[in-house]
Amino acid sequence: MVFLPSITPATSAADAGLKRNRLDYSRHLSAEARVRLPNPIKSIWKAAQVKAGTINMGNGDPHHTLYPICEMNFVVPSIDEHDPVQSWRSSTGEQNIIASYKDDPCTLSLRTAFAYGAGAGLKEVRDALANLNDRIHSPPNHTVSLSLGNADALTKCFRLLGDPGDSFLCEEFTFSAMTNAALPLGIKWVPIRMDNNGLVPSDLERILSNWDEATQGKRPHVLYTIPCSQNPTGSTLSLERRQQIYQIAHKWDIIILEDDPYFFLQYDLGVSQSTIQQYGYTRAMADVLPRSFLSMDYDGRVMRLDSFSKIVAPGMRLGWKLDMLTDSSSQHPHGMGQAFIAELLGSDGWGVDGFMKWVSSLCNEYQRRRDLFMDVFQQKVAISGFASAEVPQSGMFVWIKINLEHHARFSSSQTPTVTGANLMDELFRKLLECGLVMMPASTFAIVDGTGTTGSHINDRVNFFRATFVGTDETIRDGLAIFGRTLEEFFI
Amino acid sequence: MKDPQIDSNEGAIDLSHHLSTEARDRVANPLKDILRVISECPSDPHHSIYPFRQITYEVPSVLDTSDPVTSWRNNSGLAQIIRSYKDQECALSIRDAFPAETVITDFTNLIFTPPNHHVTLTLGNSDGITKVFRLFGEKGDHFLTDEFSFPSMTNSPLAYGVKWVGIKMDSGGIIPEELEKVLIKWDEAKSGRRPHVLYIIPVHITYIIRVGQNPTGSTLSVDRRKKIYAIAQTWDLIIIEDDPYYFLQYDTPQTNSTPADPDEFIKNFRSTLIPTFLSMDVDGRVLRIDTFSKVLAPGMRLGWITSNELFHLKLADYTDSSTQPPHAFGQMFVTEMLSEHGWKTEGFCRWLKSLCMDYQRRRDFLLDVFKREVESTGYASVNCPQAGMFVWIEVFFEKHPRFVRGGEFGGSPVVARTNTGQLLEELFERLMNTQGVVFIPSSTFAIPENPLWVESDGHVPLSDRTRFLRATFGGTEDIIEKGMIRLGKGLRDFFQN
Repeated sequence: MVFLPSITPATSAADAGLKRNRLDYSRHLSAEARVRLPNPIKSIWKAAQVKAGTINMGNGDPHHTLYPICEMNFVVPSIDEHDPVQSWRSSTGEQNIIASYKDDPCTLSLRTAFAYGAGAGLKEVRDALANLNDRIHSPPNHTVSLSLGNADALTKCFRLLGDPGDSFLCEEFTFSAMTNAALPLGIKWVPIRMDNNGLVPSDLERILSNWDEATQGKRPHVLYTIPCSQNPTGSTLSLERRQQIYQIAHKWDIIILEDDPYFFLQYDLGVSQSTIQQYGYTRAMADVLPRSFLSMDYDGRVMRLDSFSKIVAPGMRLGWKLDMLTDSSSQHPHGMGQAFIAELLGSDGWGVDGFMKWVSSLCNEYQRRRDLFMDVFQQKVAISGFASAEVPQSGMFVWIKINLEHHARFSSSQTPTVTGANLMDELFRKLLECGLVMMPASTFAIVDGTGTTGSHINDRVNFFRATFVGTDETIRDGLAIFGRTLEEFFI
Repeated sequence: MKDPQIDSNEGAIDLSHHLSTEARDRVANPLKDILRVISECPSDPHHSIYPFRQITYEVPSVLDTSDPVTSWRNNSGLAQIIRSYKDQECALSIRDAFPAETVITDFTNLIFTPPNHHVTLTLGNSDGITKVFRLFGEKGDHFLTDEFSFPSMTNSPLAYGVKWVGIKMDSGGIIPEELEKVLIKWDEAKSGRRPHVLYIIPVHITYIIRVGQNPTGSTLSVDRRKKIYAIAQTWDLIIIEDDPYYFLQYDTPQTNSTPADPDEFIKNFRSTLIPTFLSMDVDGRVLRIDTFSKVLAPGMRLGWITSNELFHLKLADYTDSSTQPPHAFGQMFVTEMLSEHGWKTEGFCRWLKSLCMDYQRRRDFLLDVFKREVESTGYASVNCPQAGMFVWIEVFFEKHPRFVRGGEFGGSPVVARTNTGQLLEELFERLMNTQGVVFIPSSTFAIPENPLWVESDGHVPLSDRTRFLRATFGGTEDIIEKGMIRLGKGLRDFFQN
């Protein structure tokens, strides 16, 4: 789901103080977004919903008696297990059946789930997710809408905010599948330097204060960031950095696109058992999860994207919206997914707290795999000195540094930037031949086209992105191959 | 797995010059390129921690009765259970739940027999059409469509500078000669690039212009389709065939027996359906947009585009860079449903045929009630559609005490000469707010005219011709009856103002 700054003013006195810096969001909109007309049939459909008893003969909606599904059952883990993820994986635990019905009561009837709806998604689901996110982020004043996953949400944001010729800011290594999607729209990317701890705030400030509109075009007004388990570097932004970045965004009037699919996979958290017992899992997790940009967004400049892809399943395709663009393009998320989530989060399913219990159990499982990965990595790889990696605090990625200085061709090269990039390419192909896929840093590198950075990113592409999402076996086997191949490569 | 494509490249021509700048500039998703090499995406959660291992769907059995829709509605038939599994065999396992394309391709080949085309999945027609518009349209372009079209869709490219040209219609739909006239007369110096895209909804506006005493209305005839295709070839047009109601076609000759043999049944079923633009597309210039919304449920959010290979690849790239493929649940359901464990293609055709009969009964019911409650007022009449879900109710605004006709001489050929438009809006609102019944006024569908491509002699401005309300017979009989009663009452109130 996505949080959008609310356009309608809040009415409570408590919020009045927060409204001082209410941002005029509209001037960030692209020319396209500004002229977009609402879907006229949808507008009439919405008007017809207002008065009870109104007969709608306007819309081409098949009647629910003709939907050929009257019941759906999902076999899911029982959330009463102590460690539900472990029990599920080993098939030792109990299972539950949650059901959606067309003609019988349930949390979200199939009559509603399978009908046309507003692009924002169905109330039952939005409410459940708003509840969850209120308790985790306490956003100052935002609205939840459903999406089709983060890729969809993000690319819609690009159309919403970007005109051809615009420059957008991003981390110098980023999820290039998404940044590439913006290129045909005429958007250019300005990379920000990173270190071990992620995006460097002072570099962001430097870029903005040195920006010369005469030679570089319109100053950037959008920042795309992946603050937790940054893709590909695996780093998580500290609270201090987030606050600094937010201040800079405030100063230069930047919209922050907070792309956070790995937010719920956090490690070494020290979740308090007594808090769990007293207040439940949601509160216990909320206490230790990182502070999102959303949670500090008093200006209303953050658009946060959440997804079920990494904590339920990728095929869920469930996350955000933008009312008008969605009603005129992909429409609302699919009914089956909404029905499933509604039942899962509803009183006959896991409930929100049960879902957070699943999440915390998931964190334990991923942490176990992370620890296994780092152990094996130490034994099979790091020991040679040819590669090293920091321990990630969240998510799925390990950013492995290849110490090219040990390679004869690199150390004797007159053009180390070029040689380094070539060597990495060779190593990637060699690994592929040996049966191992690791994503080379070059796949994610944003080349600076606007003359803002001092050096070429190819100076820093000596990394691979690895993940620990596979089985224990694939982790062990994969790292063994990696270690052996590295030895061959460097000798 | 058999190769779903009929391999014949004869006739296929290079149409890449139609692509928009955006479509040309789009690069394939780099990660998916690398990952085509291996089967598992390394950054996806492992299937062992998906919190569901089985999904069960209770659906109608299409085998035990010749009219499964009616049995389903009455709760008198049998049900069937189909299942998706993660760890057991099924047609599309929860582990793999992406390529439903195979079964949909098979279905497409069987029913539409396209010469040489590929299937791309969508999230329904809205998604499909807006993606296709982006594929071909850029600022300054003009696209062609019927003069009454579907602005829910045609509005979307307006935002990026595409304009629409509405082509004249009569009771048989878009007039091929009018289409040709616009193309011949087009002056690129004055109006920019000649239109290269035609967006057509063959089953929607089946009657909007009264011709004589016989407003039966029909879907676009085969003869007109062939003429339009020939024009498209002469003028190098892309045809976007938007066809969500295709399977709802009425008054087709019924054979006495329902063949038990599956292949016979499918063959019979196909013979009752009018040939599509896709089926005659030797050049590869047609993109056909299909959806499950009207034949399964709108909330399925699942459909497909059938097109030539180049456009399929471009659409697939665009999908990878935006919405991503449709959700697993829908793909799993449709795959199981069309598979050996479910209805199979033949069973799905039985459902479709039965659906058709159901909608035809409702159409006839509405026409009966209309005659009784509305036609009797003398203020409106209705057509008898041969396809789709809608009737068009013509309102005789000239009988209204406040009807105004003026400005006969000179002036622009597109400016309204009557206040039909205002009266229509007023009626629409009164019906909604006072009577509590909603119809869509035909003004919603009108594509604004531009004097540049309208001939002034004898032309009646569009605004003077939009005197219709669109009503659906998709609801229950109770809803239809109440709706017509309220309409009758509302008309009397309105005219006796």
